[in-house]
Amino acid sequence: MHHRLACNKHHQKKTKKKKRIMAAARRLKRVIASQPGFLNLKSTSDPADLVSSRRKRVNKNKKKNWNKHSDINDVEEFLEDVRLQERTTGYGIQTQITNLSAFLPSVLAYQQPNAKKIRRIAQKAEQLAAKGVVPRRQKQLLKRRPVAKTTKKAVTEANNNPDREYYDIWGLESDPWYLQQTGKKLVKRPERLNEKPSVLPAVEVIAPGGSYNPDIFSHQALLQEAHEVEVKKQKEEDKIERQLAVNKADTATEETIFREQVEGLVEEENEEETVHNEDEEDVAVGGIALGEKKTERQRKREKAVRIKEQQRLAERRQTGQRQQLFQLRSIKVSIRQQEQKTKAKQKQRKAKQEAQKAQPRRLGRLKFQAPDLEVQLSDELAGTLRRLKPEGSVAKDRFKSLQKRNLIEPRERAKFKRRYKLKYVEKRAFREIT
Amino acid sequence: MGGIQKKKFERGSATNYITRNKARKKLQLSLPDFRRLCILKGIYPHEPKHKKKVNKGSTAPRTFYLLKDIRFLLHEPIVGKFRDYKVFVRKLKKAYGKTEWSTVERLRENKPTYKLDHVIKERYPTFIDALRDIDDALCMCFLFSTFARTGKCHVQTIQLCRRLTVEWMNYVIASRALRKVFISIKGLYYQAEVMGQLVTWLVPYQFSHDHPTDVDYRVMATFTELYTTLLGFVNFRLYHSLNLLYPPKLDSKAVSELKEDNEDDYAMNSECYIEKLSALSASLARVVSTAEEEEAELDQFPVDGEDMEKMEAREKEQKWQEAQKKLFEGLKIFLNREVPRESLAFVIRCFGGNVSWDKSVCIGSTYEVTDETITHHIVDRPSIDKQYINRYYIQPQWVYDCVNAKILLPVEDYFLGVTLPPHLSPFVEEKDGDYIPPEKLKIMALQRGEKPAHEQEEDSEEEDEQSEDEEDEDDEEEVDEEEDAEEENLKKMEEQKSRGKSPQVKVTPGKVKVENPARLEQEEKAEEKRLAIMMMNKKEKYLYDKIMFGKKRKVREANKLAAKRKAYDNAEKAKKKKTRK
Repeated sequence: MHHRLACNKHHQKKTKKKKRIMAAARRLKRVIASQPGFLNLKSTSDPADLVSSRRKRVNKNKKKNWNKHSDINDVEEFLEDVRLQERTTGYGIQTQITNLSAFLPSVLAYQQPNAKKIRRIAQKAEQLAAKGVVPRRQKQLLKRRPVAKTTKKAVTEANNNPDREYYDIWGLESDPWYLQQTGKKLVKRPERLNEKPSVLPAVEVIAPGGSYNPDIFSHQALLQEAHEVEVKKQKEEDKIERQLAVNKADTATEETIFREQVEGLVEEENEEETVHNEDEEDVAVGGIALGEKKTERQRKREKAVRIKEQQRLAERRQTGQRQQLFQLRSIKVSIRQQEQKTKAKQKQRKAKQEAQKAQPRRLGRLKFQAPDLEVQLSDELAGTLRRLKPEGSVAKDRFKSLQKRNLIEPRERAKFKRRYKLKYVEKRAFREIT
Repeated sequence: MGGIQKKKFERGSATNYITRNKARKKLQLSLPDFRRLCILKGIYPHEPKHKKKVNKGSTAPRTFYLLKDIRFLLHEPIVGKFRDYKVFVRKLKKAYGKTEWSTVERLRENKPTYKLDHVIKERYPTFIDALRDIDDALCMCFLFSTFARTGKCHVQTIQLCRRLTVEWMNYVIASRALRKVFISIKGLYYQAEVMGQLVTWLVPYQFSHDHPTDVDYRVMATFTELYTTLLGFVNFRLYHSLNLLYPPKLDSKAVSELKEDNEDDYAMNSECYIEKLSALSASLARVVSTAEEEEAELDQFPVDGEDMEKMEAREKEQKWQEAQKKLFEGLKIFLNREVPRESLAFVIRCFGGNVSWDKSVCIGSTYEVTDETITHHIVDRPSIDKQYINRYYIQPQWVYDCVNAKILLPVEDYFLGVTLPPHLSPFVEEKDGDYIPPEKLKIMALQRGEKPAHEQEEDSEEEDEQSEDEEDEDDEEEVDEEEDAEEENLKKMEEQKSRGKSPQVKVTPGKVKVENPARLEQEEKAEEKRLAIMMMNKKEKYLYDKIMFGKKRKVREANKLAAKRKAYDNAEKAKKKKTRK
């Protein structure tokens, strides 16, 4: 307290600090006043007098009001007094107070503000605790706790919570009217979506040759199947290799190189020939262009010929139609044949469509790649269950099955693409060694 | 004569389809979110018939969706959640960047989540619809439950999958619904009959941690998200159909039996219960504890004639099935530590057997090796040191083969160190005339109740071969039956004729002709058939001959294979003999 006083001595204009000082000073005054015959610091203005003289209500929650209405005369007077003493005697109040503390042994150390009140409260609390009465404040706190917990849990309930609860989802029917009115009714799912995109079963059981201890023939059959797949793959690879192979005839020989080098340097006879040809063509074109006009007679004759030709054709058509009357049988036969043909085609198309239903469709950029057949060679087969080495992976099998049934489109893993090229720099330490 | 010019690609199929990118933009979603949404809602891409028309004249391969489907997606409330999630991630990133940990915590607490319940209800309007589509869900959940908890997917998802699969297995055990098992090199195939639906699923082997790189785990996780929800609801319904408690609780009797002092050695306290459930060794608690043996009698209706026969046949079938469900009842089986415990325990319990294992293998063992009442001890090693006299030591394949054959097979073929008979696939159904391996023929004979020939004399190879020969002949006979019958008929008629003509007329004491009604009936039928063939017109006759020819060819091929097999077996035997000498 003394320190604070000493520090703030010179900043008297700041009222906030003044307030603090005021309180300190009052306390000091009280202390000093109780010590008669020492420093005489009489306060000139009694706060009680002030209140009685003019009663004015002021809001105490505004800083402005505190600045305006708080009475600080006594403090200022006191401080002025201190300054005066300093000026006249040469030492201030602080030293006096330190001197003073020698005379007042530890008064400030053990004195507690409101000690009596606090003691009383503690006693009462003890009594209540002995009776078993919980104070209201604590009661409220206890009440509040569980409510907060439940709300928190309801918010975060993940879908994969291992302790999640299930109920009879197909048993309870909620009122459609209620759902509609509360805006909770969901849009009806079209029937079309309940059809499966493929007729294949969800779980395709492996061929009998895939048993851990198979019958010899079924095992051989499975091996044969796997073998055929491999042969097919090999053939495709070979084909690509063949196509990529360099053609011997296309490689450069000395002769071709030489010819290339002298290209255009040596005049050849062919060119002259082509020039001649061009001349002839020119002449022919000129001939057509120079065709003379037809005479009237010629036109008439041409027209007569045309008409005659038309008549001939019409007559022929008519006789043909007349003849068809006698061909009725053969026509019938041909119609029947055609119908049969279309029917056969229809059947074929339908069969193809049926077969397509079991086939994976083309659903994206990539085609469906059938997984490798799981097969163990005869020497890999374990005689007993203990020594069995599982072949293939169930995860892959499930994934491929989803693709095969057109539930998801085949994709490949996204490749990592570097945006900027890597720059290699030899580090100095490394360079020094090499 | 023009009118307004028709613009291209504004009507017809061009307007019915929408490309994936356009659909994505329409929904304002990122590609992964769009893909997720499509999977959850069951909207799949389409291949248009005329790509060029749809693709505005271009033939570039693209992914198309039906426009109506995408319009349907626009109404989905999950779309909003996806957008919320995007915003959440953005905010979280920002908070991290600014190191505002309190904000991070607050955001985390309010992480947007969504439910799939309404999607399930929408996609599967009835319970049976859901049950028909459960194959995929089971496969996926079994697969995910075997994943290592190393971050390929959320640990929580793995735990949930494990819980659901355990629940499913417990249901199958309680309802005795298992029908077929097949041990393949890929995994274990199971088939069960649940409420009249055949459900097939594939379970990977326990320790095959192979994560192929060309599988999109994000897509798989999305499917799993949907399927866990579906499987949970299906499980709930199935449990209630059997009056079982859901979530499953162990029987109070079983709980006290399984109580052990050192449970902490197996699992943490929180996981102990599910571990016990997944041990599959105890039965489940029911809502109303009823007597376990509760057989529903078939309703009897007064019927006449043919229906009666059918009815009887059905009843017989029912009885046979009931008997089959109790295949392992009364057997006390012990699993040695090297056999696949979960699979075997599941199969044995499905058919009513008692099963236990060594205490150190897994929680939930019910009796020890030293128990004198054990009837079968399943071992998968060439020999075992300490053997008890009063139990069979057999290899695990016996259990699976018994289930597929629907009878208890003779244990001799499955003893320790014996070369096992092949494990045949129960999913193959042979039509008549197909080649059937001799092992299967043997099993079929056993099913009919015949005793195999080689059981009487153990080491007589000739007998063995003979029996096989007989079976082969049987096979042929089945096909040529009608013809034989015809011949016989003719012979008889001739005989009768010759008798009639015979000059010596004698009076012999009359014999009571033993008439076999079944035989007579058969003959009658054969006769009818012969007459029918005779009455065929040319076209039908041609077709009939063709079919018969095809059948005969099949038989020929099957015979060829059988002969080959016999030669192979002989060679094997010779080899064995040599080695023995």
